[in-house]
Amino acid sequence: MALAKAQPELRIAGTKLPAIPLPTNCPGCGVGLDADALRKHNYVCECGHHFRLGADAWIALIADRSSWKERWGDIRSHDLLNWKVPKPYQAVVDQLIEEGLNEAVRTGTCTLAGRPIWLAVFDFRFVGGTLSIVAGERLARGMEQAAASGIPYVLITASGGARMQEGVLALMQMAKVNAAVGRMHSAGVPFFSVLTDPTFGGTAASLALLADINIAEPNAAIGFTGPRVIKQATYADLPAGFQSAEFQLAHGQVDLVLPRTELRHLLAHLLELYP
Amino acid sequence: MTRHGRKPDESTLTVWQVIELARHPGRPYSLDYIRRLAPDFIELHGDRLSADDPALVGGVGTWHGRTTMFLGHQKGRSLKERVARNWGMMHPEGYRKAIRLAHHAAKFGFPIVSLIDTPGAYPGAGAEERGIAAAIAEAIMEWFRIPVPIVAAVIGEGGSGGALGMGVADRVIMLENSIYSVASPEAAASIVWRDNTRKVEAAEQLQLTSRDLLAMGVVEEVVPEPAGSARADYDAAAAALDEALYRHLQPLLAQPTADLLQHRYERFRYIDSLVHAEPQFGPKI
Repeated sequence: MALAKAQPELRIAGTKLPAIPLPTNCPGCGVGLDADALRKHNYVCECGHHFRLGADAWIALIADRSSWKERWGDIRSHDLLNWKVPKPYQAVVDQLIEEGLNEAVRTGTCTLAGRPIWLAVFDFRFVGGTLSIVAGERLARGMEQAAASGIPYVLITASGGARMQEGVLALMQMAKVNAAVGRMHSAGVPFFSVLTDPTFGGTAASLALLADINIAEPNAAIGFTGPRVIKQATYADLPAGFQSAEFQLAHGQVDLVLPRTELRHLLAHLLELYP
Repeated sequence: MTRHGRKPDESTLTVWQVIELARHPGRPYSLDYIRRLAPDFIELHGDRLSADDPALVGGVGTWHGRTTMFLGHQKGRSLKERVARNWGMMHPEGYRKAIRLAHHAAKFGFPIVSLIDTPGAYPGAGAEERGIAAAIAEAIMEWFRIPVPIVAAVIGEGGSGGALGMGVADRVIMLENSIYSVASPEAAASIVWRDNTRKVEAAEQLQLTSRDLLAMGVVEEVVPEPAGSARADYDAAAAALDEALYRHLQPLLAQPTADLLQHRYERFRYIDSLVHAEPQFGPKI
């Protein structure tokens, strides 16, 4: 909490976080949960367990109050491959939209501690936060605009990888977004990535780990191939903590592992250091 | 560009039969093609960091009178060879070697030919420990900056991110009986059903044949294979691949570098534009 103490003015939070569905007991420590207290603590239990947040909660956490301007929120995923089993893809998408979700990636502009940023947030609740054509399009458009305007780009990931139901076109989104990341790097635009639980597959192997600074949430699972598939393919016993944020830190893949309660202060400080 | 090439009567094979052809152990592998395209090929090794990945071969040779950099996934035929080549599944070192050789080619202005034939990147603990996700991500990003023409061909299996890590090029073509997919049918079944035995159902939905990709606008051309597929006649398959690759390379050689890189960017930036333009797109299963 050194940063928070050093810069008390940055305690001004974003918007109050929305209520999220919670279990009665913390999966980390087993203690009964106080929803209000947890909400004020950015959904981090005292034991250090970080609850998964949807895109709406992340936007509320990062963006200064009333500063969020969503972009391209009206483009929608469609069933292009006539995907029918086990569930028709179009029905899955329609159902999620009806529940109030808007794709696996939402993007827009806002300010953080008064400084303008581009913000893109994955939402794991939407088909596992999978990279789709619409997700790729929102990411690439935002990064192109960040590259043109010089405004820093902040990314929050939570994704199972590329979306199976969009086939090879979902795979191609990895190239599409990486090309745009390259444009930001060439333009000298700061790019900060926050990897949350879980970040895997085509998302980990595209933009998530390509930032100037990769930040991971404590104990977040981050990797390319999921542990279930690794065990199936190699019959290997995976050690405890394999593919955790701390594992990725030890293997040189992320710059720092930081609790969510300190994230906003760190990002605000980074925006000062990389003007 | 020849797009919209799908004609239902062109192939009488089922999707699963195509996959079996694409994976057939008798099918020509990268070195079978490279040695026919450039008989003076010299293989170069290593990523200059820590290792050499035998699942990816790379090197230089003369092709149509010009020194060319060849890269390709390499599978093995005997069990010993398959183990040594790791079934064509690259580790992080392979992607770093590919980019090292791409910069080498750029220094001398050599065009690059990339042959894709992999079930995917290696799904093992060692690959994870050494940063396979970041290695693929860096490679994909770096290909957009390599200032020489790149032509790629899927010659067998184009599996997932492991294939795309070698598949960012100015032109991408496919041999007729090859596949290119977001995930192997087994992996897709495992993800969607949590049951990898439903691979045939998954394969039928993924639309991973060469004609599917041509119809989606993801590849520029499907190269016909000899009667009985590529494994029936290596020389004829190599000649057809040679002709198609060189036809695609020629106009690229004349392009100013800035145009080349801008077009490569746009090729992938708008790769889904064909399906955007046609909301009713989608061959019906």
